Amino acid sequence: MEIELISFGKIAEFINNQNIELDGIADTDAFKQYLENQFPALKSMKYKLALNKNIVQENTEITNSATIAIMPPFSGG
Amino acid sequence: MSAERYNRQIILKGFGEEAQQQLLRAKVLVIGAGGLGCPALQYLAAAGIGHIGIVDDDTISLSNLHRQILFTTADIGKLKVEVAAKRLQDMNTQIGIIRHPIRLQKNNILDILSRYDYILDGTDNFESRYLINDACALLNKPLIFAAVSGFEGQLAIFNTPDHLTPSTNYRDIFPIPPDKGEVANCAENGVLGVLPGILGTMAAAETIKLIAKIGQPLTNKILSYNLLTQEQYTINISHGGSYTLPKTVDEFLNMDYQDTSEGPQGYKEIDASELVKLQQLESTILIDVRERHEVPILDKQIFTQVPMSEFGAFMSKEFYQKHVVLICQHGIRSVAAAEAMQEKYGDAKKIYSLKGGIVKWRDHFLKP
Repeated sequence: MEIELISFGKIAEFINNQNIELDGIADTDAFKQYLENQFPALKSMKYKLALNKNIVQENTEITNSATIAIMPPFSGG
Repeated sequence: MSAERYNRQIILKGFGEEAQQQLLRAKVLVIGAGGLGCPALQYLAAAGIGHIGIVDDDTISLSNLHRQILFTTADIGKLKVEVAAKRLQDMNTQIGIIRHPIRLQKNNILDILSRYDYILDGTDNFESRYLINDACALLNKPLIFAAVSGFEGQLAIFNTPDHLTPSTNYRDIFPIPPDKGEVANCAENGVLGVLPGILGTMAAAETIKLIAKIGQPLTNKILSYNLLTQEQYTINISHGGSYTLPKTVDEFLNMDYQDTSEGPQGYKEIDASELVKLQQLESTILIDVRERHEVPILDKQIFTQVPMSEFGAFMSKEFYQKHVVLICQHGIRSVAAAEAMQEKYGDAKKIYSLKGGIVKWRDHFLKP
């Protein structure tokens, strides 16, 4: 299935906004593991996922053409 | 109240006299009179918020002026709270401006926040943001949150329930703070002045919407704004649950917010005058922890270069000096270095970090 990936802040410096083909990844836990394997820099960062504009608080099923956003915390002022 | 002053917003359909009265009765605390706080303060004061408190313990420096638009070149060195309060009072003589020239800490924040109805967080570090979030959650105060990074910003309203969701807070998105140096470090602090200008103005707009009960404020939502593309992306926040939020004052006072000025942390944050005194001691080593490409370049005869990327290797060696002063661009990385040194040496050496870094004390470092 295809999903749209959107990232922000420092994460956008190494993960571009893109459509990606996901095979064998059914839920957000598996997706998180996939992301951290693809982009090891994420492992040492704080970030939050949002699935179809809703914060992911527990493992959630990902369906075709979903949008997943990856958001780091900002503190600057 | 002079209706004439607010005429253009009172005649606005969907706003009116009643909304204006609500603004006048509201008490808003703006924390941080910086890039976000300055524009927020200007619009809140101009709109007629009846009581506005300003918290900031910092003084104005030259590198503030490109984004902190309440201040002029002649104000350099003065307390931000004093200059901001005067400018705002001159602009709107009908409202009350309350000065809080202090740094918020566990032991004073609850007292100050409890005097206000709405809290606007325009600070610039995670320690303050978690401290403010937890204090607002404990006191059940609506919190308007704005932050920037690079060319992007985040905006949210916490601790305010809506018809769908009970109130959420910052820890529902980011349960624990990033490690020191993980996100904010001195070298990454660049910002185009207009970005906090936009986010600070948006934060003021959300505050006014909340008070006047108009539109759809960003309650239980976080908006991401991108200056380069003018794109916005809004995410719905729900309860996370798996985090520690202090439920009582005692629990709050026992939280660790890594507030460096709170002590007893062992090392000391110093200003330039203390640096000068320490420099005259034989047993002082001055260490510049910035990476080798960073400017301005300091006199290597006086400042030993130990970039953070090489700090571990340096720490494994011994040196004789008793006083260790750590310096970086903004005084953030030098705190991380001071913590590491303190952990290794304890009372065996005196550890110092130059607060505000080279940027803050530019004149001291660049004098001929």
